Amino acid sequence: MLTLILQRLGVGLLTLWLVTILVFIGTELLPGDVAEAVLGQSATPEAVAALRTEMGLDRPAIVRYFEWISGMLTGDLGASLASGAQISGLIAERFSNTLLLAGLTAFLVVPSAILLGLVAAMYPESIFDRIVSVATMFLVAVPEFLLGTLLVLVFAVQLRWLPAISYTTEFRSFGHLIETLALPVLTLSLVLLAQMARMTRSTILNILNSSYIEMAVLKGVRRHRIVFRHALVNAMSPIANVIALNLAYLVSGVVIVETIFAYPGLAKLIVDGVSSRDFPVIQACAMIFCTAYILFILVADVAAILSNPRLRRKAH
Amino acid sequence: MNDHRKTGLNNQPRFQDLRARDRDIIIEGLKHGASRRDLLKWLGAAGIVAAAGAGILADAGIALAQTPKRGGKMRVAGHSSSAADTLDPAKQTLSTDYIRGYIYFNGLTRLDGNTAAQPELAESFEPNSDATEWVFRLRPGVEFHDGKSLTAQDVVYSLMRHKDPAVGSAAKALSDQIESVSADGPGMVRVKLREAYADLPIMLGTSHFMILQDGTTDFSTAIGTGPFRMTEFSPGVRSIGTRFENYFKEGRPYLDELEFFGIQDGVARVNALVSGDVEAITNLPPGAIEEVKSRPELVLLATPSATFSEMIMMCDRAPTDNADLRLAIKHLLDRERYVKSVLKGYGQLGNDHVVPPNDPLYNADLPQRTVDLDKAKFHLAKSGFGAGRLELHISEAAIGTVPMGQILQQTAAQAGLNIELRREPADGYWSNIWIKRPFHGGQWNARPTIDIQLSLGWISEADWNAAQFKDATLDQLIVQGRSELDPAKRKQIYNDIQKILYDQGGNGVFGFQDFLDGHSARVKGITPVPIGNLGGFAFPDTAWLES
Repeated sequence: MLTLILQRLGVGLLTLWLVTILVFIGTELLPGDVAEAVLGQSATPEAVAALRTEMGLDRPAIVRYFEWISGMLTGDLGASLASGAQISGLIAERFSNTLLLAGLTAFLVVPSAILLGLVAAMYPESIFDRIVSVATMFLVAVPEFLLGTLLVLVFAVQLRWLPAISYTTEFRSFGHLIETLALPVLTLSLVLLAQMARMTRSTILNILNSSYIEMAVLKGVRRHRIVFRHALVNAMSPIANVIALNLAYLVSGVVIVETIFAYPGLAKLIVDGVSSRDFPVIQACAMIFCTAYILFILVADVAAILSNPRLRRKAH
Repeated sequence: MNDHRKTGLNNQPRFQDLRARDRDIIIEGLKHGASRRDLLKWLGAAGIVAAAGAGILADAGIALAQTPKRGGKMRVAGHSSSAADTLDPAKQTLSTDYIRGYIYFNGLTRLDGNTAAQPELAESFEPNSDATEWVFRLRPGVEFHDGKSLTAQDVVYSLMRHKDPAVGSAAKALSDQIESVSADGPGMVRVKLREAYADLPIMLGTSHFMILQDGTTDFSTAIGTGPFRMTEFSPGVRSIGTRFENYFKEGRPYLDELEFFGIQDGVARVNALVSGDVEAITNLPPGAIEEVKSRPELVLLATPSATFSEMIMMCDRAPTDNADLRLAIKHLLDRERYVKSVLKGYGQLGNDHVVPPNDPLYNADLPQRTVDLDKAKFHLAKSGFGAGRLELHISEAAIGTVPMGQILQQTAAQAGLNIELRREPADGYWSNIWIKRPFHGGQWNARPTIDIQLSLGWISEADWNAAQFKDATLDQLIVQGRSELDPAKRKQIYNDIQKILYDQGGNGVFGFQDFLDGHSARVKGITPVPIGNLGGFAFPDTAWLES
């Protein structure tokens, strides 16, 4: 089992390395550069060339790539080209904001999605199941930017219960925090909840249709016992997978939601970075997002290994 | 010369000159939420031209603001903001940076509704006889936020630093016209210029030239003389200012606190305004105009400006080097349709040069070009271009050029000109297409003076001479315009410039677009200044909230 997990870890690291190359090439391919963006009105060819030299943009890409990698390995993310601030400082604050948003969402979504999926699977074709199915289908189909805007229209513009934007992170009280983050968290949650509930339901239903469950039914085991003792345990691994993959999806979801609600998180930093051609910032943020993604998938893999007796045993 | 009229920018009727009854109608109209457009229309009916009308309304706003209330906190959302936000006036590149400048700092001058320079930190300013040297007399008793008094040395430092390449000022090209700045006695500053420059006081009223303390190099804070003290600045998040009690203008600012931040997404910005989370937003998306107008608690602020997008016909390469082809195209621009349907009426017709109709320097003698198929056909035949395809490169990067291209394509087909639209990605448009393809779309932001615009993109050797139209007479006129102090002569020079561009230039100008902002009806005291959003970015000084 340990070798299997180590193998996964190795694959994860390899993927991360490939990602560094992709991120670097991707930012290299962006047209225009920060020298032009910074100079704006006075971007004469000479001024641009001078600034490029000063920023070290005139050196070969391969040299800059290795400098960047070695910097990252030693925890030095460099300085923002646009503002000159240390990127680690910029990110530290933004990262905790994004974590707060994502954490709250996950905290809300994971238990409720599993519960919804489970109950729907226990009573397939019931009214409850149908309502859950239709509602989740609808929510899955609506993109975040539309859902976010609709929620704002209802709760901020019409009812005026909640603010339309969440640009502050200095919370006066817990109530203020809830009020400020309600709409972005709700937007993210609804989309995720729908995905997760649907996948949980179909996973459990799948297991409930397998022959050993049929055997249990024939033995006269009570329904909730079947679901909790037999089905759920076996569904753990696929559900862990579902959760991990959806939380990884959360990483991209925050980009849109942070933009709509002007929330000062990591995603907004990367969007700003792209518009000002601030390569070190884009690269650092992209690496954080990719690492989070790979980490979630790694966790899903490991969870699958741990919860599957066959995989567990094979390693011994 | 604290009378800006000498520069010829402002010899129009003022609000004070109107009859009492007319004044009341304007004031009541404004109070009851009549749009500026309605009032302009009414002024037009009363025989006052739109250009003067705009100035009168600006003055009326000031008249209204005579009984402002003190207190309250105003939250304003700008349309751009990023980690590159700065407090250094030299480094400002976005309109939101300019607004921040006006929150914490002052310039030597301030621009009024006609973009004329008014005294600010300088209580008066005078040129020598040929405008090669200007003397600014500083207002006594002005204090910085840290209690130090404003001195001539502060002004010398603030202006000269733009010339230092190490500073990397965005206004370096403009400041290169300055030869030297020196303290001339305790309250006097002498600015020596390389060449004569009549518009210097206007240039010094823009936010790049805000006055700092001598020797300032740390821009994590903003110690200016401005209406608000900096209490918070986090780049890409927000800026907060609290009222500076020792502000040199008695009784101002009116607001206790001003909070300014960015919401890039247009829909989110409108939502924030409509839901009452902010009191004002910049750059109202055109789709939200009706929404704002339909709500009694919101006000649409339209500021006629010199911002325009254009069809660039490069004069140095085929096929647009053909003067007849250029004229044919100029006769095919459906300007009315563009202003009406694309700008939703919030714009002014273009006439193939850079001066908008509301500018006092506008050449009203040139006939307004409209779609004229006969003339277009005539010039097209003369050009010998034939039935070939003419490629037009357009992009979202140059705002408005996509619908312009579509309008032109349809009209051109009627005259037998076959235009093929090439829609280019916004990313990289300015480095890959602009000033490269013979026929393409371009965009210009309003500049404080026509001269700055011409110097940036119309004088032969300008880096941004997009149309590559080079004409010795034009160059000579532009240089003459800079030094001419006599209003009549000055007007003649700019008329000639417009005539040359109108007849021969490489710019097809559909129209000029207004700055559109939205604010709560509770917000008062913001009057349009044609160089930017929300009163030419300078609202912090004048805005107040009705309780």
